[in-house]
Amino acid sequence: MTDKKEYRGSIHQRQKDLMLAWYGQLDQAALTGTPPTVSMMISGNCVELLEGFGAVPLYPEINALQLAIRHQSLDPILAAEDLGYAADNCAYVKADIGCLLKGITPTDGKLPTPTLILCNFVGCNTYLKWFEHLAKFQRVPLYVIDVPFMRTDEPSRSDLDYVVNQLNETVKRLEQLTGRKFDYDRFRQAVECSSRTEGLWSQIKHLARRSPSPFDAYFDAITLMGPLYVYRAKPEGVEFFEAALAELEAKADAHKGVYEQEHFRLVMEGPPPYPYFRTFRDMFAKWQACAVASTYSTVGGLWEFGFRHDPDHPFESVAMHMIAQNVTNRNLLQRYEQIRRYVEDWDADGVIIHFVKSCRLFSAGQGDMRDYFTKQLGVPTLYVESDLEDPRYFAEAQTKNRIDAFFESLEHTKATASIRRKV
Amino acid sequence: MRIVAGVDVGSTQTKAVIMSDNGGLQIIARALVDTGANVQRAAERAFDTCCRQAALHTSDVGFIVGTGYGRYKIAFGNTQMTEITCHAKGASFLCPGTRTVIDMGGQDSKAISVGPKGEVLDFVMNDKCAAGTGRFLANSAEVMGITLDEVGPLSLQAKHPVKIATVCTVFVESDILSYLAQGKTAEDILGGVHIAIAKRTLSLARRLNIEPEITMTGGVARNKGMVQALEEVIGRKMQVSPDAQFIGAIGAALFALEKLDQSFEFGIWRGEHAASGGH
Repeated sequence: MTDKKEYRGSIHQRQKDLMLAWYGQLDQAALTGTPPTVSMMISGNCVELLEGFGAVPLYPEINALQLAIRHQSLDPILAAEDLGYAADNCAYVKADIGCLLKGITPTDGKLPTPTLILCNFVGCNTYLKWFEHLAKFQRVPLYVIDVPFMRTDEPSRSDLDYVVNQLNETVKRLEQLTGRKFDYDRFRQAVECSSRTEGLWSQIKHLARRSPSPFDAYFDAITLMGPLYVYRAKPEGVEFFEAALAELEAKADAHKGVYEQEHFRLVMEGPPPYPYFRTFRDMFAKWQACAVASTYSTVGGLWEFGFRHDPDHPFESVAMHMIAQNVTNRNLLQRYEQIRRYVEDWDADGVIIHFVKSCRLFSAGQGDMRDYFTKQLGVPTLYVESDLEDPRYFAEAQTKNRIDAFFESLEHTKATASIRRKV
Repeated sequence: MRIVAGVDVGSTQTKAVIMSDNGGLQIIARALVDTGANVQRAAERAFDTCCRQAALHTSDVGFIVGTGYGRYKIAFGNTQMTEITCHAKGASFLCPGTRTVIDMGGQDSKAISVGPKGEVLDFVMNDKCAAGTGRFLANSAEVMGITLDEVGPLSLQAKHPVKIATVCTVFVESDILSYLAQGKTAEDILGGVHIAIAKRTLSLARRLNIEPEITMTGGVARNKGMVQALEEVIGRKMQVSPDAQFIGAIGAALFALEKLDQSFEFGIWRGEHAASGGH
């Protein structure tokens, strides 16, 4: 067992290049005003619509997590708290607002003032306030797409029409703000691109059903999520995911896993503690425990169960994605079912729930979720608590203790099962 | 004859035991020292004390397992395991039939569901809050100007225990001062403190299926007032070994014994020691 590991493949470098190119575009937009940029939230993002204007998405969440992963999130969080944000406010919000106040960006480049702040309000009430504050601080128009929460298994016709109407209104608003006419053909091509990217991403996720899994569907999936949200609707996105699939498929065919020996297979629930991302990963690496599925990697979209954007019904499929095909807008029972399918179809040994102190959206109900999996389904489930952005909530010794104890127990379960099989 | 040791470096105190299987498995030495700032030194002191007690040289000990928060600082240990796993193992050894462990230590409280062989089935712990731990009691004792050893017996004399509203280890001090100002007796205040901790611990343990036999472990198990308060809120008697404070170290020593005996691939989990009893 090793405590430190290198996890990088060539796709990690490709990802870095793509994301730097994106930040380059944002820097250019900040300096020249072109291309137009639109602030959006990741969950159920409608990046396809932006392609119809040649506009570039700006994701405050990605900026916030980039800072956290580089151990730079505390200063902006404290700056926001100085302004009056409470200790238990979403730390993403505080980091982002703090950055704005202090002029901090995740790279050396600049971030533009967006043309529009588009609050694609999916599942999280806090975002509404976050984007209202951004609009106020940046003096930028705000448009809120009110996406109905999933109350039933499928959205109703009126839910879909409601969102499609708002997408059409967004188009008109963006035409006014950018001075550009909406290019419907380009939008349709973007939806087509997304459909192809999503197919590739889904295939990658299904590779994790093999044993050993060729990649970690939590820690490595996070690397792939940036391109998924920024480039999904572009040919560059399709190319990136074709290359990623080829690399990972070759690895899977050669029976190469993340570790020398894949000892445990896990399903991960909740965002990671970005300020201690590497530390947290190493705690699982020590036990050669590989995540084979994760709910966090479906925040931007849930594609492994078959949903694709549809170029024949571009607006409707964008609406369907925003309402029903991302984990944050789905109800808790749907999330339970998603995790249960992962455990069974991806052949997992247990579930790890990472409770995020400052994220009510993702963390509400996770205590019951733990009970459901341990008591009703008999799936070993560990509950650990810290934060996705605020380093003050991460207690390394406590977290390590729980993880070690969980694997000690899981080792026993596997060992006795193995003995029973031999007998 | 096999001689093994377990060293449990807790946040407040460090415990060590030496066990031998000469003429039946038994504890031949035990030591307790304050952990203090130098974790490694505390582990060495506890282990050395045990060796002197048993008239052994350190090299006579065949295998040493470290546990507790400071387990990775035990330079002389052969391997480490969490105290959660060790408490389950140790409790099953000392109190056969244990299915639930309630451990109250200096800064931790935890509930563990235990299988028939002393294995951990599930566990829950306090998170980011010392309510329901020994620290809550220590702070209460300090603000009332009495020693920690006195709080349990005094609490048993409570006639009308007060209601402690806060679960915060820091703010309990102002609650206590307020009751003192109202002229409440130390016994009634401490009775209330013990009930508050017991209720807090019960709400933690309820996240598991609390099944009998219930065994209480950890340093707070020495406090008879706490044992009684917990039994009252749970509505069931608990098993409390005189060695409750050493159970983590004992569990570690049992694992050390099994590690020493590698005749069976997964021997550490066979639980034969639990089955044979340990008193």
